[in-house]
Formats: sequence, C-alpha cells, structure tokens
Amino acid sequence: MLVHDLLIRLRTLFRRYAAESELDDELRFHLERQVAKYVKSGMSESEAVRRDRLEFGGLDQVKDECREARGISFVETLVQDLRYTTRTLLHSPVFTSCGVLTLALGIGANTAIFSVVNSVLLNPLPYPNPQELLAGRPNDSRPNLEDIQRLTNSFASSGGVNITPMDFTGNGEPVRIHAAYVDAGLLATLGVQPMLGRSISADEDVKGGPRNVVVSYPFWRDFLGSDPRVLGKSIRLSGNTYTIIGVMPSGFALPKEPADIFVSLWVAYPDAASERDVHFMHTYWRLKPSVTPAQAQAEVAQVDRRLAEQFPDSEKGRGTLLVPLHEWLVGNIRPALLVLFGAVGLVLLIACANFAMLLMARSVARQRELMIRASLGARNSRLIRQRLTESTLLALFGGAAGLVVAKIGTTFLVALKPAALLRFTAIHMDLRVFLVVFAISLLTGLLFGLLPAWSAARGDIAEALRENARATGSGASRSLLRNFLVTAELALALILLVGAGLLSKGFLHLRSVNPGFNPTNVMTIYLQLPATRYPEIPLETNFRRQLLARVNALPGVEAAMISDLPLAGNYVGHRVVIDGRPTPAVGTEPEVQTLSVMGDYFCIMQIPIRAGHDFRVTDREGEPLVAIVNESFVRQYLPDQNPVGSRIDWARRDEANKWMTIIGVVGDVKHSGLNQPVDPAVYAPFSQNDEAWRRFMSLVIKTDGPVAGLVEDVKKQVWSLDNQIPISDVQSMDDLVVFSVAQQRFNMLLLGIFAVLALTLAGVGIYGMIAYRVNQRTHDIGVYIALGAQHRDVLRLIIKDGIKLTFLGVVLGLVGAVALTRLMVSLLFEVKPTDPATLIAVALLLAAAALLACYIPARRALSIQPITALRCE
Amino acid sequence: MPSRSIELPQGTLDLLILRTLALKPLHGWAVSERIQQISSDLLRVQQGTLYPALHRLVRRGWIKAWGTSENKRRAKSYELTKAGRRQLEIERDAWEKLTAVVSQILRTA
Repeated sequence: MLVHDLLIRLRTLFRRYAAESELDDELRFHLERQVAKYVKSGMSESEAVRRDRLEFGGLDQVKDECREARGISFVETLVQDLRYTTRTLLHSPVFTSCGVLTLALGIGANTAIFSVVNSVLLNPLPYPNPQELLAGRPNDSRPNLEDIQRLTNSFASSGGVNITPMDFTGNGEPVRIHAAYVDAGLLATLGVQPMLGRSISADEDVKGGPRNVVVSYPFWRDFLGSDPRVLGKSIRLSGNTYTIIGVMPSGFALPKEPADIFVSLWVAYPDAASERDVHFMHTYWRLKPSVTPAQAQAEVAQVDRRLAEQFPDSEKGRGTLLVPLHEWLVGNIRPALLVLFGAVGLVLLIACANFAMLLMARSVARQRELMIRASLGARNSRLIRQRLTESTLLALFGGAAGLVVAKIGTTFLVALKPAALLRFTAIHMDLRVFLVVFAISLLTGLLFGLLPAWSAARGDIAEALRENARATGSGASRSLLRNFLVTAELALALILLVGAGLLSKGFLHLRSVNPGFNPTNVMTIYLQLPATRYPEIPLETNFRRQLLARVNALPGVEAAMISDLPLAGNYVGHRVVIDGRPTPAVGTEPEVQTLSVMGDYFCIMQIPIRAGHDFRVTDREGEPLVAIVNESFVRQYLPDQNPVGSRIDWARRDEANKWMTIIGVVGDVKHSGLNQPVDPAVYAPFSQNDEAWRRFMSLVIKTDGPVAGLVEDVKKQVWSLDNQIPISDVQSMDDLVVFSVAQQRFNMLLLGIFAVLALTLAGVGIYGMIAYRVNQRTHDIGVYIALGAQHRDVLRLIIKDGIKLTFLGVVLGLVGAVALTRLMVSLLFEVKPTDPATLIAVALLLAAAALLACYIPARRALSIQPITALRCE
Repeated sequence: MPSRSIELPQGTLDLLILRTLALKPLHGWAVSERIQQISSDLLRVQQGTLYPALHRLVRRGWIKAWGTSENKRRAKSYELTKAGRRQLEIERDAWEKLTAVVSQILRTA
C-alpha cells in the first residue's frame, strides 16, 4: 500500500507535465460530454456551455484538489510556487533589492560584530574545565604564593607568572622576547601539556636549578625552524644558556600575558623569587572539583591574615581576591560589550522592521491580484503558501548576501586591530551566530509574510473586484502598524546615533587633551641591557653615556633617554618621604611614579619647566643627589612651600636617608593614558640611580623632519657598542599617542558604523513607506492636481505623515536615548550622557535624513500628470 | 430541479463510485451520469468533488486508470482493482449495517 502510494507519487512527480495535460484532457472531455448532453436535450449551444460552467464550479480549484488527491501536491506546489515567486521577485527589482539589502546589512553586520565580540568575550577559555579556574588579585610574590599553596586545601593546583623581557641571541640580530617567569605549577594549573617534551618539574623549580626552557609554538616555528628534534638543544637567553625541554602546542596562550618562552622564576631571577615583598606574579588557581570559589576564598583569606601578622612590613593590608578567570579577563570590557550588544540588537530590530514593512507594502500592492486569484478558485491555504514562499525566498537571498557581508565585515573589523583584540589572533566569522541572526530574520519574514497574506486571503473578493482595490477598510489597521514600525525605526536609529555621537564627542575631547609633551617628530627605541654583561650600575651608566654621545653626533638629531615612556604602558612606583616632615608609618608613605632620565629629555619632549631648572651635565654620579618633580607632586605634597630646594628620599626601611634635592618642577605628563589622571612623579638622573635592575630605557630622538635611515643609523650605533642588544619597539611618539586611544577609537568606529547602518535602514524604511503611499494614491493626486492644487499643497499632502512620524520618532528616540545612554557612562570621556549639543545635533541630523527620504518620493508625486494618473485605472 | 436533489453524506461518494465501477470500467463523466441515472436524478454528483475523489481512489489503489480515446479526445477510464473489490465489500457491509441500525432507531425509538 505504502509502496504503491509512493510509486504513484513518484511517477506523477516525474511525469508532471504528462499528468497535467491528462488532467486537462479529462476535465475538458467531461465538459464537452456534458454540453453535448444538454444540447441533445434541446438547449442552445451557448446556453449549454454557460450552464455547464456554472455547474462545474472553479476549474482551477477542481484541478488543485485533484492534484492534492493524487498526493504529489506538496513537492509539486513548492516547485510551482518557487518558480512563480522567482518570476515575481525578478519583476519587481526595487522591492527585491530593498529586501535583500536590508537583510544583508542586518544579518551581515550583526554577524560580523557578534563574531568578534563572541571570539573575544564569550568563547569558553581555551583550557580544560575553565569553570574551575580562578585568577588571584592583586599580584603576589613567590614566597606568598608558596605559603598559600602549602597552607590551603581547596586547590587542585596553582601557579604564578611574571613577564619579563629577555634577549634571545644567536640567530642573526638579537631579539627581545617575552619571557614568562613561572613556577612549576602554572602550566599544570592551566591544564595544557607541551606538544613536545615536558614542562618544568617541581624539583627543577628551585634556586640554582637547571636552566631549562619550554618554548611557545610561535617561538619554535619562527626561531627554531619548527625542528621536531629540538629537545635537548640550547639557546642563549640574556647571556645564559638554556636547554629546551618542551614545546607548547599551537594555540596555547597564557590568559592575559604575552609569552614566548617559559622559564622557572627561581632559576632565571632568584633574587626576586626569594623576596616576599616583590609582588609581581599573576597567580592562577584551579579549584578541586567539589570546592566552591567562596570556600577557597575563605581559606585563602585565613592564610592572608597569618601572613599579615607574620610579615606586617610587606603583607599588612594585603589580601588575595579570587576572581573567576573568565570574569577577570572580560570584566573591564564589559560596559563596551553591553553597549555593542545593545547596538546589535537595535540594528537587528530596525532591519526586521524594515523587512516587515516591505512585505506589508508589497502585499497591499498585490492584494487585488490575490483577490482575483482567490475568486478564480485558488484556495486560501494556497495563497498563503505562496506569500510565505516569497518571504522565505527573500529571506534566504538576504541571508546569502548577509553571509558575504559578514565575511567581509569580520575581516574588516579584525583589520582595524584594536588594542584589546591584538591578543586574539584567531577571530573567525562565527557560523552559529550567523545562523541565529538568520533564523531571526527568517522568522520575521514568515511572521510578516503571514500576517498580510492571511488578511489578504480573508479579504472580500467582491470588494477587491469593486472598481478599485486601493484604500480599503482593512488598510487602516495595517497602516497603523506601518506607522508604528517607521516610528520605532526612527527612534531606534536615533538612540544609536546619540550613542555614536557621544562616543565621537568623547573621543574628540580625548584627542584634544594635552598630553603634556609634543610628540611631533620624536622617534623612540626601547633598549634593555642584559644583567649578565651589565651587572653593575657604572657599566650601565657608561653604556648610556656613550650611546647618547654617539647618537647625538648623528647630523640633525637630538637624543635623550627615559626609563619609561609616557603612554607606553610601563610604570614604576616608589614610596617617598619628605625632609622635615614626621616619618609616616611604614607602608603608608605617599607613592609616586619614579622615572630616570639622561640627556635633555624635557627639552626634546618639550615638557615645560615651571620652576627651577633642568638637570645639568654635572648632576652625575658622585655629585649631590638631585630630582625634578612634576606639578602634581607639588600640588599634592608641597603645596605651601617652595618646591625648589626641598628634599625628598625613597622610603627605605634599612638605610639612612640619602636626600635628593629638588632642583626643578616640570609640567604634568599624561603617562597612563590621555583619559587618566596624572600621578605625582619624580625624575632623577640615570647616573645617580641606585637600582641596578633599571636596565631598561627608551631613546627619544628628535629630528627636524622625517630622516631616512635614522633607525638603521641608531641601531648601528647601539650595536657598535654591544652587538648582542636587541632593538625592538621602534615607534614614533605620535604612534604611541594614537595607539593609546585605539580602544576608544575602535568603540567609536563600531558604534558609528552601527549608527550609519541604522540611519540608512531607517531612511530606506520611511522612503519606502512614502513611496508606497504615493504609488497608492497616484489617482487621488492626479485628481488633486487637476483640480488646481499647487506644488506646495501636493508636497504638504505627501510629506505631512512623514513629518508627523519623524517628529514622533525623534521624541521617542530622545527619551530612549536618555534612558539608555546612562549605561555607557564609563565609555565616555568628559561628556555627559545627556549632552544637549549632541542630542540636538543628532536629532536634527535624523530629522533631515528622514525628510530627505520623504522628499524624494514626494517629488515624484509632483511630476504626476493628471491625465496619465486618471488613465492608468 | 435543485430542490429535488439530495446532499450526499460524507464518505458515501467513494462507495458509490466503487459500486458504479464494479459493473464495468467507465470514464469520469459516465460515472456521474450513471449515478444520476440510477438515483432517478435524485443524486447529482458535483464534478468538483467527483474528480478529486477519483484521483484519491487511484492513489489508494482501489481503482486504476488508463487512457482511452473517444472522439479523438483522450479520456481516462477507471476500473476497479482487486483491492477495490475487497474495499467495496467492506464498505457495503459497513453501510448496510449503519443504515439498518439507523432505520431501526428511527422506527422504534
């Protein structure tokens, strides 16, 4: 039975044309026989035919039911509907392209941005059982870490890491790499095994342990030629020889830290490893499966209290806070994420509203056709199916185009390379995201394809066939819905525009912030001296002095040095005491930024000297100690005394004071970011420095303009002094400034793109609505003009609705914006979320765009010739 | 004339078609004519229901169709299959039982 049924279905499907003509023949044969019968009984031929037709009913309907009874109708009708729909879509290119474009932009843009956000923020961490991982805040020292590890029971394992630059020599030019100083527990805690070899074991992680190194996959690929037999070979790192014992798999990275190689902290930097107050390790903790973060936190707090009692000098007031790793990684980008998600949602809403409106306008335009077909016997279900086929097909086309846009968009976003994304090298278009967005627009298509189809199918046939099928009763509710959609679109677009406007304004503010120095024509080069060959300060000073002399000898070049460049991300702070003040309790002394300089740094950077004078050549080792402070320092600590001549010193526990005399005050420099406050800072000469570990420095080189080969010349000078010093981070000061605001720029660009998208879509929406109305009322307008209406009157008639909706949209949008932009306060720099100038400007922009969108179709209305308008009926 | 015709109860058309075709193969028009004739014009089968019913019966395998040619026009003749004959018996039994029960209730209740 079943097989038989299937066979018939298949046979008829393959013999569709034959079956159709058979059915035609059969029915026509019937009609003929019937007519013949009537004629025989004495009816006239024409009377017989009429009677026959009447009795038979709708021919199409009968055929339809026969097809259905034959049971092949589903596939067959689908094929038929698809062909019909493709034809009608191709016949109305404007409608089709508007629909496809709307969906392509909506789906594509959303997928692109979602993919990026998703890869960065939502993807599970690339470690096994990531929910067990916690990050410890703030940083801690190796001895503390060891104590907590020893005295707690909550953790399956834990580990710490500090990133320190090392020099890798031996392969051509020396290279500065990021070395991860780790303990034996770190890699095990993250749960990733080396691809080759093994990681550092606990018995190697001790003072004086073997110099072993685990290298990252990129390091192995780029510097070791992907050599599979690399284990046991040696490399030179900062003057020492290390044996390679492992290679990490590709795709492995530490949660936040850039790392090219992994070495034991105890082996590579024993001095720091043994110091309880060197709180420089990021710590990561893996919970035992049955332990909750709260239990672990309680246990750690207990150990913290014991440490604070035992070592009040360094541990008092400190405490470890355990944060779920994922939260710690994305926590600070969360506001930006929320705003972007909001924007994504709004654009998707607008796109869907547009699509819905298009479908509705279309169904109204085609209502008459549908009604005629209904009267010819096409059944409701059939008509509805056809409408659905159309909206689905359109959604599919839009989705396909959206896929292309998404692909391009993702590439574009990644190419923008915002600072926050640099770490994430593998951002792909996310197919799941695409599918979700696509499903949403498909549903919109189905829903809004169905609504009008249903009411059109229900529509009164007689009414449709009445003189004109134009503005009919059921149109009122639909035009209400359309008005609502247009208003909503405008309001949503306005919210996005306000957001983008605020970010742009904030960004402009940020860019106009005076960094406190002049970055023009200043090139910077970072250098670090290896401890092996420069163990003592005089050797460092000698190198610096010679290098500066050589670089300054280059024609057209002025050069100086500073320990940490502004906006470059490095910062060293120390506690200070001020001469003549009561000594504060240990650990409560004011903390200030400390910088070392050599050469005419302030002059080259054009940092103004507010009082006193610059360092002199005579301010060097063996001479009285001197310092220069910034204005913030004076404001905060020396407000009512002459800073010049005052004396300060680093807060030390174990030495007699070595006072530095303040000889000058310089202007504040933005060090941590243009949007960050300036910390009090103390500048001292490199040559009077007493911390041998300050082996790093940046050359700042000022020229009158771009100098070809400058960097090469400087490199030559460096290597003529020491050919094993790596040179990296060659950056112009201008780039540093730009880079420091990359995240804000990225936020602004993204939201800007969204806002433009929303504006375009809303414009298309209102344009479509007005154009549709003009079409629908061609006849009325023709009559109106024929009756002597002026251009102005016609314009008013057409645009009136547009203006009303625009006004309503703007008002609602402003209300929404005021409510929503509060969420982005943390992203704004010196702009209130209700900044009136931005609100007004954006409202005007939107209104202008909307009116323009109304004006284009309205102008077409003006050109309507009364005669043609009347004739076209 | 319309006032004289009777509405066919749901499902009986299939039975009538099967019965009509039990005598000899007929084409669609002849089926409707024959039903009308035998019922003394009391039953008029709407073509709008006849042809879908024929196609449905073909699909169920109770009747089969083949092309014949009459007046140079291809027509289709329908013939009862073995399964159709069995089905006719089943439906006839059911119908007779039903009508007997219904009339008994109408008489006695």
